[in-house]
Amino acid sequence: MASSSGLTLPGSPAGPEATPAPPVGRTPVAGPVRPRRGPRAGEERWALLFLAPTLIGLAVLSVGPILATLGISLTSWDMLTVPKFVGLDNYTNLLGDDRFLTALRNTFFYTFVSVPLGLGLALALAMTLNQRIRGISWIRTMYFLPLVTSSTAIAIVWLWMYSPTGLINHALAIVGISPLRWVADPTLAMPSIIAMSTWQGLPANVIIFLAGLQGIPTEYYDAVSVDGAGRWARFRFVTVPLLTPSIFFTGILALIGAFQVFDQVYVMANPGKPGSPTITLVYFIYESGFRNFHMGVASAAAWILFLIVAVFTLIYFRTQNRWVHYQ
Amino acid sequence: MSAPSVSVSSSGDSWSAHSPRRRLARTGRRVTLYAGLVAGGLAMMIPFLWMVSTSLKARSEVFSSAPFSFPTGLHWENYSNMWFALPGVTFGTFFQNSLFIASMATIGQLITCSMAAYAFAVLEFRGKRILFALILATLIIPFQVVLVPNFVLYRYLPFPWSDSGNWIGTNLPLWVWAFFGGAFGTFLIRQFFLTVPSDLADAARVDGANPWQIFISIYVPLARPALATLAIFQFMWSWNDLLDPLIYLRDLPSYTTTVGLAFFQGQYIGNWPVMMAGALVSLLPMIILFLVAQRYFVRGITISGLKG
Repeated sequence: MASSSGLTLPGSPAGPEATPAPPVGRTPVAGPVRPRRGPRAGEERWALLFLAPTLIGLAVLSVGPILATLGISLTSWDMLTVPKFVGLDNYTNLLGDDRFLTALRNTFFYTFVSVPLGLGLALALAMTLNQRIRGISWIRTMYFLPLVTSSTAIAIVWLWMYSPTGLINHALAIVGISPLRWVADPTLAMPSIIAMSTWQGLPANVIIFLAGLQGIPTEYYDAVSVDGAGRWARFRFVTVPLLTPSIFFTGILALIGAFQVFDQVYVMANPGKPGSPTITLVYFIYESGFRNFHMGVASAAAWILFLIVAVFTLIYFRTQNRWVHYQ
Repeated sequence: MSAPSVSVSSSGDSWSAHSPRRRLARTGRRVTLYAGLVAGGLAMMIPFLWMVSTSLKARSEVFSSAPFSFPTGLHWENYSNMWFALPGVTFGTFFQNSLFIASMATIGQLITCSMAAYAFAVLEFRGKRILFALILATLIIPFQVVLVPNFVLYRYLPFPWSDSGNWIGTNLPLWVWAFFGGAFGTFLIRQFFLTVPSDLADAARVDGANPWQIFISIYVPLARPALATLAIFQFMWSWNDLLDPLIYLRDLPSYTTTVGLAFFQGQYIGNWPVMMAGALVSLLPMIILFLVAQRYFVRGITISGLKG
């Protein structure tokens, strides 16, 4: 038992023997502290005990490193010699670096094509699969299977489908289109990767949309049907508004995930080649940090990624009031 | 893909008429619906079917024959070639490594996330809301942002049995973190704990049980479905991860299936049957897990999706 006396002074930090990590004790308290009942006193020490691993992880593996990345990004460091402070040089150099700008452009292209495409297809598929018929769960399994697959293995399979003698060119040949080079073609490479990622990302989005669809009370549909609403009107004025919380949430996950695309690019497009057209931001971070050991450059690129994600997340949350309807 | 042209809303068939014509029309619609849904499902599975069929073909056959043909003979040797393709290690080694890393990460997350979730769902303490918000905020941080400092951290953590003398080149960086909490798991389990009626805990408290005893004997057993959900998600993420193993693992015998597969792809360019056999074998454990535990996958996505 951590509390033998059953008495805890509200303002005092928990005993030193129970404080492996301090953040809780330091958190500012606003307003008066509620009086505590007898049996619940001492709960703060227990809370600290339960939270100890999480607090250490938060400090050492999340918050600390984010600040450390910022610090390292202001240096020139190869991990062997002492880091040299260079101010904002890494950032200014990056903005003049063609490879980085290509990575940035590709990442934006990937994100702003794959997110709307993925969400739109997922919504259509979820509505199709939202049937109350026997065996529907077996049918859904077929659609959900890509959910659990590793992007690495999937990228290898799609690489083969995209190959000059692969499935997709064979299918095109049937309708008389001559073979395309897909991932080997600079203009088709990113769209090819997007097509694959969209296929792989569909199930998770579909599952969220399905849950959202099943949460829509049927009375709403009945109500508008009485008013003579057709299928489109029901979709537009019932389904979509009531599904906006799911769309909002799926959107945020897809957005954050898309900015971090790496595996597919690593496997599919051999982006290590100097003139490679498919390098992405995370690949750039990986390459500069863990292949070339330019830790400062990698950290600067990582912070730029962080800022981009933060800004877009913020903007996205700001738009919430305009289009998301909570029941 | 063909979207069947069937009413899209699930508002329940209010067709209660019993006339034979209507029943016939209804059966017709059902058949169309099933056919459409199954056709769409098969279309979705084309990459898998293509992978399986290629993995059983001879290498020459792959380039010459029609793509949709069944293999002339079943070339199972692709699988043994794949298994023993790399010098000094078999694919079984990669499996063992992935299994170990994914299991340890799963155990770590189950323990520490459920503990944190209990604190957030049941206990009262100052700064609870702020701390919980902070933990949720880490969900939106791209983990690549902490890649470099974490690499530096592991480089300075001693490990006398590795070549480097530190954690680099060992699998420690791939699972030890899991014993220090996680935002997704904490959130998921907390949502579940919140639904447990508090009078159970109150009764135990009156009987003199302390929070740890209440946690172990009431909350953990009740949360088994949520824990199973977290377990399979963490296992899947660890099993499928590429970037971290790529950074930390240095020699072939320590590779996971994903890194092994990517390495393999670089070595065997153009040998598609063997590559497809490798891809299939590496996917198989997760596919089996999915078929067995589909509802947990669906639940995990639904809970975190709806309550986000």
